[in-house]
Amino acid sequence: MTNIDSLITSLADTAVPVRRLRPPLARASSWFIFAALVILSLAVLKGLHHDLALRLARREFIVELVASLVTSFGATLAAFYVSLPDRSPFWALLPVPGLVLWAFAMGFGCYADWIRLGPSGFILGTSFECLAFIVLSTVPLSAALLYLLRHAVAVRPISTTILATLSVAALAGAGQSLTHHSDTTLMILVWHAGTTGLLLAIARLLGPQFLRKVVSRPAPAATSLRTALK
Amino acid sequence: MTDFSPLDIKHVCRREASLTAPPDNWGCLMARAQDGDRYAYRALLTAITPYIRALARRALRDAADIDEVVQDVLLTLHEIRHTFDPNRPFAPWFATIARRRIVDRVRFNANHTAQKMASTAALLTETPSGTGEPHQEEQERLCEAINALPARQRRAIELLKLRGLTLREVSQQTGMSIGSLKAATHRALKTLRRLLSE
Repeated sequence: MTNIDSLITSLADTAVPVRRLRPPLARASSWFIFAALVILSLAVLKGLHHDLALRLARREFIVELVASLVTSFGATLAAFYVSLPDRSPFWALLPVPGLVLWAFAMGFGCYADWIRLGPSGFILGTSFECLAFIVLSTVPLSAALLYLLRHAVAVRPISTTILATLSVAALAGAGQSLTHHSDTTLMILVWHAGTTGLLLAIARLLGPQFLRKVVSRPAPAATSLRTALK
Repeated sequence: MTDFSPLDIKHVCRREASLTAPPDNWGCLMARAQDGDRYAYRALLTAITPYIRALARRALRDAADIDEVVQDVLLTLHEIRHTFDPNRPFAPWFATIARRRIVDRVRFNANHTAQKMASTAALLTETPSGTGEPHQEEQERLCEAINALPARQRRAIELLKLRGLTLREVSQQTGMSIGSLKAATHRALKTLRRLLSE
């Protein structure tokens, strides 16, 4: 009996019934609602902005908020689809329209600041508070989402990791905008987009390794399967 | 869970799964395997193995590599079999898994070969740092190992690694194609590594 025959026998003999995954849309929606509630709770705990009602009346603010939520939901849905072997990898493009709208809204916000405040609207301060909020909420939520998508390690680990991180970072950005105390859009743009970019870069570097750890899968062919089977 | 009940599956699938099940039956077999039908699962794995092997052969030459990648695909399919949706075709699901594992294997081999070639080349061109006996012994072992190589591999190693000629120069000198030279060097380094680590 060859190694492959004995592997087939051992896999078949130990096969137990498995729970099939629910449709990706249902799973993505459940996750999005859960993550949105977590981020909202964190924002409330941190303290909502004192004139949030006034901000919500501003069209630019609403467009920004909606764009980040659309990006987040698009990325969540894309992550759930891309993680499945029989779905098209082009699902990864789903968050792009949301991202474009978000970038456009931010750019328009910068322009509006310039008109409204003049050169003082272009002051770039530091916002470590913003960075801390996004990082501290994104890292654990991304890890939890990647755990849900751990089956992606065998097929598309990189795109799944990036999409999962983008989905949570965009949601955290939306939550942060409810609490943000600095008013210039440039500052928000730099700190939100900068933090999101940093998190995506980290996800690109470490995400696949994290997924491999979660499913205890060695790097491709790092361990001889033949040896393991003997 | 999808709303695909085991009863539907039984209705659609053959009752007796054959060990040489045709591809159009694979989805049904996988659906039954997801419900814990070990006979169907065995039939499916047996039926798809030649296809995996054929896919692997297109990208890999070494028989051991092909065997390992076939096992890797089977293990991966086993690990993520819950992601198969019986309402969708089996072929794209299976093909993506097989292709990804084969591509990963090819990448791993390429990196591994580059590393091994670099370290063996360093060993071959190392200048003695001391005059002790162990170094001389190592050199003798290396010479013996090189002499034990098949003629084509020995020639490739001598010209490329010891005399430091380029692939093009060696190709002109020996009449071997660059592809054959690379393959011969790879095999020679593999054998040398094995012989020297014994």
